[in-house]
Amino acid sequence: MEQPLLNRSVMIVLQPSSLKESLKLLNENPDAEVIANASDLWPRIRNGEVKPKKLLDISGLVSELSYVKKDGSSIKIGALVTVSQLEEESILKEKRFSAFKDVIAKFGSPQIRNVATIGGNVCAASSSEDFIPLLLVFNAKVRLSSVDGDRYVNLEKFIIGKRKINRRPNEILTEISFEDPGEGYISAFEKVGRRNILIINLVNMAIVGKVKDGKIEDIRIAANRIKGKIPERAKNTEEFLKGKAFNENTVAEAKKVLSEEVSLTDDIRASADYRKALLLAMLERLLLKLRGEQ
Amino acid sequence: MNVQTAEEFLTEIQKKAERGELLYIGKELKRIDDLEKVLGLPIYTNDLIPRNTLYARLVLSKYPHAIIKNISVSKAINYPGVRYVLTHKDVPGLNESSTIIPDRPLFAFNKVRSTGDIIAAVIAEKPNRAQEAAELVEVEYEHLKPVFDPVEAMKPDAPKIHDDGNIIKHVKVRKGDVEKGFQQADYIIENTFRTQHQDAAPMETETAFAVQRGEKILIIGSMQTPHHVQAAVAKVLGWTLDRIEVIQAVTGGAFGPKSDEPPYDVASIAALGAIKTGKPVLMSMTREESMIAHTKRHPAIITHKTGVKADGKLTASKVQIVLDGGAYASLGVLVIVRATFHANGPYEIPNVWNDGYKVYTNNTYTGSFRGFGAPQAIFAAESQMDEIAKKLNIDPLDLRLINMLRPGSKTSTGQLMDESCGLPECLDAVVKASDYRKKKKLYSKQDGKIRRGIGIAMLHHGNALGPEGNDYAYVHLSVEKSGKIHLGTGLTEFGTGAISGLAQIAASVLGVPIDYFTIDRPNTLVHHETGPTVASRVIAIGGNAARDAALKLKQKVLPVASKVMGCKVEDVQIVDGYVYCKEKKAKSISWEELVKEAYEANIELNALGYYMAPSCKWDEETGLGSPYNQYTFGAAIAEVEVDTETGLYKVLNYYVAFDVGKAINPKSVRGQIYGGTVQGLGYAMMEELVHREGYVVNPNLKDYYIPTSLDIPEQIQTFIIEKQGSMGPFGAKIVAEPPVVLPGPTIRNAIMDAVGKGVNSLPITSEKVYKVIKG
Amino acid sequence: MAQMLVKLNVNGIEREVLVDPDDRLLDVLRDEFGYKSVKEGCGTGDCGLCTVLMDGKPVLSCIVPAFQAKNHKIVTLEGLNNDPLMKNIQDQFRAHQAAQCGFCTPAMEIMGWHLLSRKKETNKQEIKEAISGTLCRCTGYYDIIDAIYDAGRPE
Repeated sequence: MEQPLLNRSVMIVLQPSSLKESLKLLNENPDAEVIANASDLWPRIRNGEVKPKKLLDISGLVSELSYVKKDGSSIKIGALVTVSQLEEESILKEKRFSAFKDVIAKFGSPQIRNVATIGGNVCAASSSEDFIPLLLVFNAKVRLSSVDGDRYVNLEKFIIGKRKINRRPNEILTEISFEDPGEGYISAFEKVGRRNILIINLVNMAIVGKVKDGKIEDIRIAANRIKGKIPERAKNTEEFLKGKAFNENTVAEAKKVLSEEVSLTDDIRASADYRKALLLAMLERLLLKLRGEQ
Repeated sequence: MNVQTAEEFLTEIQKKAERGELLYIGKELKRIDDLEKVLGLPIYTNDLIPRNTLYARLVLSKYPHAIIKNISVSKAINYPGVRYVLTHKDVPGLNESSTIIPDRPLFAFNKVRSTGDIIAAVIAEKPNRAQEAAELVEVEYEHLKPVFDPVEAMKPDAPKIHDDGNIIKHVKVRKGDVEKGFQQADYIIENTFRTQHQDAAPMETETAFAVQRGEKILIIGSMQTPHHVQAAVAKVLGWTLDRIEVIQAVTGGAFGPKSDEPPYDVASIAALGAIKTGKPVLMSMTREESMIAHTKRHPAIITHKTGVKADGKLTASKVQIVLDGGAYASLGVLVIVRATFHANGPYEIPNVWNDGYKVYTNNTYTGSFRGFGAPQAIFAAESQMDEIAKKLNIDPLDLRLINMLRPGSKTSTGQLMDESCGLPECLDAVVKASDYRKKKKLYSKQDGKIRRGIGIAMLHHGNALGPEGNDYAYVHLSVEKSGKIHLGTGLTEFGTGAISGLAQIAASVLGVPIDYFTIDRPNTLVHHETGPTVASRVIAIGGNAARDAALKLKQKVLPVASKVMGCKVEDVQIVDGYVYCKEKKAKSISWEELVKEAYEANIELNALGYYMAPSCKWDEETGLGSPYNQYTFGAAIAEVEVDTETGLYKVLNYYVAFDVGKAINPKSVRGQIYGGTVQGLGYAMMEELVHREGYVVNPNLKDYYIPTSLDIPEQIQTFIIEKQGSMGPFGAKIVAEPPVVLPGPTIRNAIMDAVGKGVNSLPITSEKVYKVIKG
Repeated sequence: MAQMLVKLNVNGIEREVLVDPDDRLLDVLRDEFGYKSVKEGCGTGDCGLCTVLMDGKPVLSCIVPAFQAKNHKIVTLEGLNNDPLMKNIQDQFRAHQAAQCGFCTPAMEIMGWHLLSRKKETNKQEIKEAISGTLCRCTGYYDIIDAIYDAGRPE
């Protein structure tokens, strides 16, 4: 086991000018840490929390990896798209994508939104990354590229633990995609912390679904914590809600199901009990948004 | 621009002359020292360093309580880029870095008492190399049993942190007969309140830069009291004061820790480093180092036992305050004094029994921070008042009206309030502005998940040093040939606007526009030792010295004017920079011309102003007497909205009034009220520096929440009341600290009004609100 | 050592500088270029005081690796001091006493300038959002908000 690097000034920085070159370099240097704009990783490198010997800087690959496009019914987002760029995207201005607006409004701070990339957010793989629950409810896939070709993995299977991702050492996450749910769908996101911005959220939740003729035709729910330390889907609650009539009773029952589904622990920021209370209140609020109420 | 006749102009001047010394007092003049700030010029310590500067990083203790068996720096010293590693062995003088009680070494040598103890400082060519090398300093520890709870630490069998017991200081107030008072009461209400560690979090951390100059050393730094830093460095180096020049650079926020021991640490380390390496050294704490190693606000455990009659009259108040003093005493020995004297709130209570304790624990150390014990004391006292009101089923406003201090009342130390007691006016202003009675009635009948509430809190705040020591100040004025007036003082500016306020006073007394003034950087070589810049005393005490200096300067120029213009000395007037003879309407000269004449006549135009406040008299044993010369008063009302399902709440409106005696510059006063209130809001709602087993868990601004622009109430309505005090210039009272005291209890009481029960600990997180709602 | 030669464009001046891999854009701006208006308040991207404009967008220079700043146009407050809108903002900061200790002032002015240069007739909520990632410990924000608001309305 090699000793972790102590002297950061001897880090080797590889700066490829194309994706092809990046994949080749990464294949030759599988121990390199891949960084985009590094807004999450850089402070952790600086304070010694992470001690990479090599960095593979892909921030310059904007022309290849920064795009938002519609490909048939698929929406594809390049890994280097920043949060502010997402805000400008016309494709995501449709009502069914309003959750994106919700996430962006409370994401980091205005300065951070200009550098934080969606790829970086996903790879950070922790419950403080707001895009993860959002992408989970949109059933997103990630594309992992390497010299061996492209591999698609469901986001759920990609994030396997706190700061643990299903990425082979020679792979780079290059794209995130999801199916456009289509007309009639509504999405929403909320988060709560100890102040109004720049927070490590206590609780966040994303929801996407369709209510037709007073019935919940389809629904997907994800929160920053359900059972473990990473964002997950609340599948039992989703199952319960599917097909039910949308009324006060359903909402109350759904809260009960969610209450059973979650398994939280106390930590220094909040007790398990309180997080659960917040999740339940949030579920109700977001369900109401689904039906078009405020 | 209006075209006036000579007649109109002269009449205007005459009117202004009638204001006399008050010429610019009360005017909202711009600050004269903020141009360089808005231009982003290089003025802070870190901006002034030369290219070959070396950088220092600290090695802090790994454990909260342990004996040091060995320190080895050999690996660290051989790390690339490292020039020196300082430890206690490198201290030529006294290895001490303390204010009042000499209980704290600069570098730990035989034992460590907190994770904030400094063991070594690594000096290297780049900060990163110093930081990496710091990990290579090897220390052998032998664990000692720690104690983190101050109440536990008071017990006789608690682990000994210093050689004597853990109670650093015990302050008492004994007035009347509390037991009799309790017997007279119809109800006795008992509660315990708790407050947390708050971090001052000035945007610029503790920083000092040192460069050797022959036999002397120059230190530039971010600090509140350059003369104290000079003395501290002299102690460490074993040098005489004449060899050490300390200059306060423009300082990016302070709030208390920079008046306490942290600046001694950074200055001494920079100085030692400069001497050992022969190069300039910058010791600028990282945010993490600062949040672990600098002084915090004391957490408090405060128990109240209050006796009250059915008609609302308080008969007895027994209060015990225990402050978590952390590993070292620092200026905290004085914090417990203020806390104990203000523990009962701004009320007239015939029988009082207060005990205040500052206690050692193995948490990081606590000391001076804006409010200085009042935020804790008043949070408890004012929360207790609402608990009493609830028990009696009377409106908290009425309970306060019955018992509050007014002219003629006596405080809990028996001090008589005179007509300068503006508390009634303060309360009145906020009650009217908030429409309290109507809102209270409205909020008493609510249903639904979202509830609103309205709450009150008040304070009295003794000015300025009071029982803490001699309260004096020196201000220098000197005039250049051009007419420019230098104002210099050892008192410091760090955002309050108070030093510009001194210039405003001097300008007003002299009769010369403030634009003529320039403020010199405080320099121990040049400016007279002037006591600490603490307790918000720059205007209240320093202002008198500024006035004195201006009067002395005026005495020097008046005879020159009299000669030049041919009128009697007593008829000379200086207004807006023009010099007139009262009777002779014709001739006048400008200030510049007067100065030129003075120079030609070989009159030196320097003045050293001085003021010392009357000494305060009170009994050390009973606390009774008049520990402060005058008091600032304040009252606040907050309206909150609570989501009862989640406990999440927000402050909708905040109304606050302060009796500041005389607002020298109302704009600057409001600036302090806004800033202090938001800092108090942080204390009330979201700030908590968490210690777990002696380790600071969140020494960063990611997980320690200070309010952002999206966390402030829609508006803060401020009211400035002026009931002139006996001590300050033109009746001015202190302003800067009281605003941080009120948000805690005001918001707590507003939430209690909304949900029926109060949260008795700070910060009031949504989880705590949720818990009291659930029951 | 693995030093890298990086070509930077700062305030319109192009220069090649030698940087260490772990240098931050903040360090290069302050130490190599001498632009001291860029402050370090936390070093972890949480306080906003190190804000500079990169290709016209506000970013936190303490979390931008120096080697990534190549091919970008960086602007600090020094580069805006002659801009009429910035002069206006600075006048208003003085009129409102919005600079107390002054340490957050450069970052606040840059965020204010960035907002007003895209939208003069802004409102107080938008200003609050624009400065929400920049911490101030002295003013409580009110005077800063008023200063930026008035700077957009020069009457």
